[in-house]
Amino acid sequence: MHGITDNIMAILMLINLALTLSSRLATCISLVAFQGVMLALLPLFSHEGLNPRTLFLAGLVVVVKGLIFPGLLSRAVRDANVRREVEPFFGYGTSILVGIALLTISFWVGIRLPLPVSETTSALVVPGAIGAILTGLFLLVSRRKAVTQVLGYLVMENGMTAFGLAVVPEIPLLIELGILLDVFVGVLVMAIMIWHISREFDHMDVDQLSTLKG
Amino acid sequence: MDGMGNILWWLLILPVLVALISPVLPSARSALALVMVGVPLIALLALWAVITVFQAGPLLTVGGWLHLDALSAFHLAVLMVVFVMSSVFAGVYFRHEPPAHALDRHSARRFAALWYGAMAAMTLVLLSNNLGVMWVGVEATTLLTAFLICLHVSPVSLEATWKYLIVCSVGVAFAFMGVLLVAASIGAVSATDTHLLHWTHLQAIAGNLDKNLMKVAFIFLLVGFGTKAGLAPMHSWLPDAHSQAPAPVSALFSGFMLNMALYAIMRFLPLVASATGGSGWASNLLIGFGLVSILVAAVFIVVQRDLKRFLAYCSVEHIGIIALGLGLGPLGAVAALFHTLNHSVCKALAFFSAGRLGQIYGTHDMRKIRASLQVNRAWGTGMLAGILILIGVAPFAIFMSEWFLIRAAVESQRYGVLGLFLAGAVIVFAGSLRHAVGMAWGPRPASVKSVPSPVLEWLMVVLPLLFLLVLGLWMPPGFRHILESASVILTGGGTP
Repeated sequence: MHGITDNIMAILMLINLALTLSSRLATCISLVAFQGVMLALLPLFSHEGLNPRTLFLAGLVVVVKGLIFPGLLSRAVRDANVRREVEPFFGYGTSILVGIALLTISFWVGIRLPLPVSETTSALVVPGAIGAILTGLFLLVSRRKAVTQVLGYLVMENGMTAFGLAVVPEIPLLIELGILLDVFVGVLVMAIMIWHISREFDHMDVDQLSTLKG
Repeated sequence: MDGMGNILWWLLILPVLVALISPVLPSARSALALVMVGVPLIALLALWAVITVFQAGPLLTVGGWLHLDALSAFHLAVLMVVFVMSSVFAGVYFRHEPPAHALDRHSARRFAALWYGAMAAMTLVLLSNNLGVMWVGVEATTLLTAFLICLHVSPVSLEATWKYLIVCSVGVAFAFMGVLLVAASIGAVSATDTHLLHWTHLQAIAGNLDKNLMKVAFIFLLVGFGTKAGLAPMHSWLPDAHSQAPAPVSALFSGFMLNMALYAIMRFLPLVASATGGSGWASNLLIGFGLVSILVAAVFIVVQRDLKRFLAYCSVEHIGIIALGLGLGPLGAVAALFHTLNHSVCKALAFFSAGRLGQIYGTHDMRKIRASLQVNRAWGTGMLAGILILIGVAPFAIFMSEWFLIRAAVESQRYGVLGLFLAGAVIVFAGSLRHAVGMAWGPRPASVKSVPSPVLEWLMVVLPLLFLLVLGLWMPPGFRHILESASVILTGGGTP
């Protein structure tokens, strides 16, 4: 019944796990872009199906999340001349354990939430969405590089998109476009900030941004 | 009022248009002139809309996307007051920047474009009837104001901007979960129509919203928009951003951006109250966050050494007071709205004074700012009076709004809440008074020369002080009507 949707959500969860243990920035950027594209395709296989509106939105999201974002971020990494890689505060062993724990939690919470999820939505969507939000938060707090914080933010945003698909099937087009514009400008602003930071500090390690206290 | 609805579109379109032409202006001077002249003109248009609302009822555009009722009209008025004050001050402030920080043509144009962009985004938050669009507006303000903080690029300003960007983006993303959950709580019945998430529509059906989902949604909304509003413990970005931004930007942040985020929470308050059957659940949450903010801010105010960080924590305290008022029933809501206006005007004045004194003394360290009344009479007076008014000295307006708040607490028999609020206020009073007195008098540093104050700068100090004095002594009946009709919407008795 939900064959394709189930597969997409399973891939989404696997990407979450892969992100927690991947050590190369370039890999992480590609993984997040891939996750965004997968989610862009999700509405095409839901109950609404193929129509001009869903096709237009899906195309736009694929371009923004699949092409523009990875391009911007790769460029920021190249300009900042990052030699060292992801640099988590925890080791990769701990990270993968945390990733598995987050996945478990998201299933546990997702099944218990009293959400009015329609019959036509796959049961994996809500847990997958929550998993992505939690993974995004984990990446935000546990990684040292500014770029990985942006990636964390994007994974979180992917999770919220999936959540929105499950609980509010028909968000008005205007709002969807507004959200996409915000995320787009957000990543653009963050990429420019990374460029400034790396020029001013010769690094982009956010744990060294700690002059302002109290 | 269909014909008048178009004015709302113009309130959005005009700042966007000006923002778009800003990048091609010929010089830094022309960019600043555009800010000083254009903003008051747009404010006049907004004033017309606000007056129409209070005389003839809410404005609604065709399709119901834009909506101006008493609550948003009141906030629109505060927004315009703060914007006009800060825009005029920006012209003065940037002319006095030390040569190393002087605005070149490029950054002046960027300032003008972002300033008008921020104005459009904040207006969008107030005008949008659709809660999804309102969220888009809040997120847009974060992105548009980020580069205003690091107008002067330096390691610390970049650090502040990065924290602001990440903390607020993630916070506001949480609010988006809240918006989605509100949409989910409508249930499958009416979820397909195009009015989904229109506030006027939601308010009409608020009693039928799913109670548990609305509760979860409100927690997300309060944490999310609360981050942007600077409610403790989500305020970590606030002192950094306020202390590093140029003074006109800090004034705008404190004077209105925080209130805009609280306004976003206010929109959801009557919906949650109806959905939970008036059990006061949401009010108690607001009271809790309000008290925590007041007490956390009080501690940091006492130990603070940096003038602008001190004022930033002061904003955390006052946002806490407003949140507390919102939780204390109808009288508390009136007090909260009254306090919003008073705090915005006074805090703008305080940041202006801090900015100019910082330029004159070359530091924001309060231990090095001495004898400011002698060095520069206008801004020295503004700083001293501003801090005294902020800590609630009678007979100024902030004293009156805090007095309303105390009455609201007594009437609802919340003595524990009242005690904690008073304890926080006393700590803030004592801590701030020490700072204020220290900066106003004392031995004058040898390296600092006296700076004369031109008439324009005196006006920028005296007019806000007079305004706060008059409102503290006498509340015009028309103004009382405005406050009451705005607070009725908050307490759920309003008609859409």
